[in-house]
Amino acid sequence: MSLDATLALLLWGTFVGLDLVSLPQMMIARPLVAGTVAGAILGDIETGLKLGVVFELLQYDIIPIGAVRYPEYGPATVGAVATANIAAGALGLGLGALIGLVTGLVGGVTIHLLRRINSRAVHAAAATLESGDPRALVRFHVAALLRDAARAALVTAFGLTLALTARPLLGGVLTLRGVTLLAVAVVAAALASGAAGTLRLVGRGPNLAWFAAGLGGGVVVAWLR
Amino acid sequence: MAPVKPALARVLLRLFAVQASYNYERMLGVGVGVAEEPLLRDLADDGGPDRYRAAVARGAHFFNAHPYLVGLAVGAAARAEHDGAAPDQVERLRAALCGPLGSLGDRLVWVGWLPLLSGLALCGIALGAGWTAVVAFLAIYNAGHVALRWWALRAGWEHGARVGSALHHPLLQRGIAVLAPAMAAAVGAALPLSAQYLAAPFAGLVQIAIVATAAVGFLALRLLPERLTGLRLGLVLAAAALAAGLLWP
Repeated sequence: MSLDATLALLLWGTFVGLDLVSLPQMMIARPLVAGTVAGAILGDIETGLKLGVVFELLQYDIIPIGAVRYPEYGPATVGAVATANIAAGALGLGLGALIGLVTGLVGGVTIHLLRRINSRAVHAAAATLESGDPRALVRFHVAALLRDAARAALVTAFGLTLALTARPLLGGVLTLRGVTLLAVAVVAAALASGAAGTLRLVGRGPNLAWFAAGLGGGVVVAWLR
Repeated sequence: MAPVKPALARVLLRLFAVQASYNYERMLGVGVGVAEEPLLRDLADDGGPDRYRAAVARGAHFFNAHPYLVGLAVGAAARAEHDGAAPDQVERLRAALCGPLGSLGDRLVWVGWLPLLSGLALCGIALGAGWTAVVAFLAIYNAGHVALRWWALRAGWEHGARVGSALHHPLLQRGIAVLAPAMAAAVGAALPLSAQYLAAPFAGLVQIAIVATAAVGFLALRLLPERLTGLRLGLVLAAAALAAGLLWP
């Protein structure tokens, strides 16, 4: 992976991390989008799409309601695609998803930490905010936005660092069987997570019949192809 | 009152960053205050700087709702300030809007529009549409996203303290009624197609192993919803696979 590509991925991962909560929430943080663009940056859209699908399915496990804590799969997908690009083939899919899962976990922790830091900042600036000074209000808001940008850049950098070190560390140790097992594990986890998350969204009401109809239709189309 | 359209456009732009200072103390409050401020500038001319500053400070108090519908509360609160509503009335209006806007937005977007289009994009990719499915997802999703933000802001500004009626707009109710089953069908279809797409490079036995492991994982997620998440399941399975791969060369 060239330095140019690494920097481009770092920039893209930062935008993706910002989009999740802060700005502009246009869903470039969705793994499908984050992964496809990361793949395009590396000249390998197919790998980006594949890992995008894996993490998009994992994303169904999350409903971002209220102050709920959740993993951050956007920059994680960027790290996953970078890993898969370095370690091609079945090793790429499994190892990439593993690096992405770890990065997603770390990203989720940093979101929680950032919210706590913002809470302390609000507490400290309570008098200023209560004064109704619009400039102070905007300054506070922009400072928080910049903190989130720094957080997103750090999470992406963490994922890319893992991507660069994982291949030399694990690539030589894992046999073909180990590589296949890893791919089975992450693809199965993504499918299980997607199914369980979707059923939670659908609930037990009348929409369950629509879910069953869609599932049946999908199976038939998959069978016919 | 100064021309409203440019002020509404400024508010709309600021609403895209309404969650930037998200925190556990005031939740979206500070972002809401920043977004509302352009609509409050006239108050300095009408009632002096004190009235303006008090309204700006009120705008930044605790608020939580779905980010795409926050504009409704921003517009309504700003209009109420212009109409001379008492401070506690404005506070009550904001507090009353938190729950309904959160619930409506979650059902409309997080559980409807977003997973529907994500499911369709997954189907498209699995059926060979490639990156064009992703571009279509982004374009269609954001057409709805921006339209919803703009509608919410305008409805809030037009209705002011009587904004509750806007929440019963037939299009919103119809949208929820249509989106929920469409989402269920789209994501239902996406699951087997995605499974086929991801498992395609592997041999038959490995494909069976993927389906069997996914079934066990699904059951575990359903039986242990409080303790097991998709992330944890993924990490546990990956760790087990790594250990097995190292011990069983």
